[in-house]
Amino acid sequence: MSNQKKRNFQIEAFKHKVVVDPKYADKTWKILEHAIHEIYNHNASGLSFEELYRNAYNMVLHKYGEKLYSGLVSTMTYHLQEMARSIEAAQGGLFLEELNRKWTDHNKALQMIRDILMYMDRTFIPSNHKTPVHELGLNLWRDNVIHSSKIQTRLLDTLLELILRERTGEVINRGLMRNIIKMLMDLGPSVYQEDFERPFLEVSADFYRAESQEFIDCCDCGDYLKKAERRLNEEIERVSHYLDAKSEAKITNVVEKEMIASHMLRLVHMDNSGLVKMLIFDRYEDLGRMYSLFRRVSNGLSTIRDVMTSHLRDTGKQLVTDPEKLKDPVEFVQCLLNEKDKYDKIISLAFSNDKTFQNALNSSFEFFINLNPRSPEFISLYVDEKLRKGLKGVSEEDVETILDKVMMLFRYLQEKDVFEKYYKQHLAKRLLSGKTVSDDAERSLIVKLKTECGYQFTSKLEGMFTDMKTSQDTMQGFYTAYSAELGDSPTLVVQVLTTGSWPTQPSMTCNLPAEMSALCEKFRSYYLGTHTGRRLSWQTNMGTADIKAVFGKAQKHELNVSTYQMCVLMLFNTADRLSYKEIEQATGIPSSELKRCLQSLACVKGKNVLRKEPMSKDIGEEDAFFVNDKFTSKFYKVKIGTVVAQKESEPEKQETRQRVEEDRKPQIEAAIVRIMKSRRVLDHNNIIAEVTKQLQSRFLANPGEIKKRIESLIERDFLERDEDNRKMYKYLA
Amino acid sequence: MAEPSQSKIKKEEMVKLISAEGFEFVISKKAAMVSQTIRNMLTSPGSFAETEHGEVTFPEISTTILEKICQYFYWSLQYASGKETEFHIEPELTLELMMAANYLHT
Repeated sequence: MSNQKKRNFQIEAFKHKVVVDPKYADKTWKILEHAIHEIYNHNASGLSFEELYRNAYNMVLHKYGEKLYSGLVSTMTYHLQEMARSIEAAQGGLFLEELNRKWTDHNKALQMIRDILMYMDRTFIPSNHKTPVHELGLNLWRDNVIHSSKIQTRLLDTLLELILRERTGEVINRGLMRNIIKMLMDLGPSVYQEDFERPFLEVSADFYRAESQEFIDCCDCGDYLKKAERRLNEEIERVSHYLDAKSEAKITNVVEKEMIASHMLRLVHMDNSGLVKMLIFDRYEDLGRMYSLFRRVSNGLSTIRDVMTSHLRDTGKQLVTDPEKLKDPVEFVQCLLNEKDKYDKIISLAFSNDKTFQNALNSSFEFFINLNPRSPEFISLYVDEKLRKGLKGVSEEDVETILDKVMMLFRYLQEKDVFEKYYKQHLAKRLLSGKTVSDDAERSLIVKLKTECGYQFTSKLEGMFTDMKTSQDTMQGFYTAYSAELGDSPTLVVQVLTTGSWPTQPSMTCNLPAEMSALCEKFRSYYLGTHTGRRLSWQTNMGTADIKAVFGKAQKHELNVSTYQMCVLMLFNTADRLSYKEIEQATGIPSSELKRCLQSLACVKGKNVLRKEPMSKDIGEEDAFFVNDKFTSKFYKVKIGTVVAQKESEPEKQETRQRVEEDRKPQIEAAIVRIMKSRRVLDHNNIIAEVTKQLQSRFLANPGEIKKRIESLIERDFLERDEDNRKMYKYLA
Repeated sequence: MAEPSQSKIKKEEMVKLISAEGFEFVISKKAAMVSQTIRNMLTSPGSFAETEHGEVTFPEISTTILEKICQYFYWSLQYASGKETEFHIEPELTLELMMAANYLHT
């Protein structure tokens, strides 16, 4: 082959004819024009690509590019006008199909034309800043077909009409729709937007405005939301099927605005089906739907949240101020817990655990729990009840859950110190009467309180547990030391309680029976012998006793009574009849306590070991008492409770309140001093603000009280007022 | 270029290029399509005569040049697949070859 090549070697210009013929260009163009006609007439099979390409190539090469280009424009325009006429002539439903068909034809033709004119596209067009062939073809289509006066509005109307029909439930040819919309998109974003999208959005807005008006007048809130959700999904689906993906945000925006935003308030406040009703009846599905729809519009969630908050506050306020509920503290707290559970569940199931909703829930609870000044007491009573018996037979995990819930309520309390006060009282009773069910549960709660409020808060509570433990050891020591001496005298169990750790109650000693007081003296000397420098005082009001008694026909019973009751009963060892006055004198029990203890001995059916004259429900000063010989009981052991008011009575409440106030004083003072020590100089308002902030974890300090404390500190020369500015305080080291 | 080994390849995958003097070069479509122009001829929608018959006549390209061009097509495919060899061009062919390259958009 190489030989042959050598032989054929010649330098030869490309075989262009030298153009002398002025008709050359016309002739060449005629060939190309003819070819374009043939292409549009689906008659291209006989054409030689190479020939056409070469002709176009030569025209460009010989500077007839301009002629070629303008020839192309006019030929193509001619064909497109033909097509437009044929499309215009299409009847009714065939219009879109004809348009689609012609578009496909044009596209194919355009492709072929571009291929044969490629040399022009490559060289002539960029250097002369013309529109490339393909784009030119699209522009000509746009100007001659889509924007032809008879087609433009008809096309838009047809598209909108089809969409409307689809919205009303008809099935339309989505494939055709997709092609036509695709065509508009191919013609450039501005064509799609101007000739379709903008009017489409306007018509949609009108449609949904009218529809939502109709729905809202006849549907309840839940149904309306279902419909709105369905419409929204339909539009999203429509976009995915045949519209530009960029339209999704715009059309959903229209639906959101017309169907949700405009009717938001009305929906939420619908009388029998609005948000409040949904909350009351736990309509998780409806609530979830409302959440997901309202989230789409601005202020949507805050609307839901506000209504929920105000509803919560109202119901909560009713709950904490309902006198019926206040009768039973356990029930009261249980109601609060149930309410909390209910809303927790709603937020997790319907509001996707939205933090802002959780915060709203918390602030609402904080708001109404503190409306009732007795909440701290009741919460402590609830815990008391649970720790006494409520937790029997409950698994450890459940105990933890209950305690965690209680802690949650505790967190809402502003007056945590009041809770502490009550908790201490209740804990003391539990410990001393041996009523705690589970030591683990008790300790677990203490740990929780500690993590919540710090060491300081629980140190005294922990001290109580320590006392209980040491007392056991002390008693063991006592009995090892004195066992020989004691013989068969009554058994004494002493719990040594550290003053300060335990709720102090004014010591109301009574006269113990001789056997007992001798024993007590022995213990006192034993204890003081091992611990010098201490003082012991008897808290007879907190003790219990087990005594054996024989009734009428030699019936033996063991009675479990309080220390006071024991003192009373022991008197009957030496007397048959005793008047109230005599008992009071002999025992020295304060009269209110004595009445309560006599009441439980003589007036409770089945436990009336004493008989009283005259028979009545209440204890009078003139009553006389006898041993009830006819006393019977199925049980050998009889527990005689004292008639106790579980809740605090009004005066007791006042007293606790007062003690709390007293306790707060040093805390406020300490806070003031701490703050002033670091700041040296501070004005009044800032002190108040800082003190309140520091004490927030324990209680809400009253500004008036803070002011008093400041004054007191000034009196004691911790602080002084600034000479020039009376509002400023200075710290005096 | 019409080597016997390539005659086994299916007819549809081959294309015939005809020079001004009527010499026929049968090469694989893949090689021919190195030229953008030939690619368009063979792939353009609708049916041009070239697509239907699988042959293209170049009345303005001499046999010598067309042969060199076909050699170049195959070389180019190899080069694109990583085999870096030199493609030798005789100086006397350069001008014509360049014009043909412009025409074929290669």
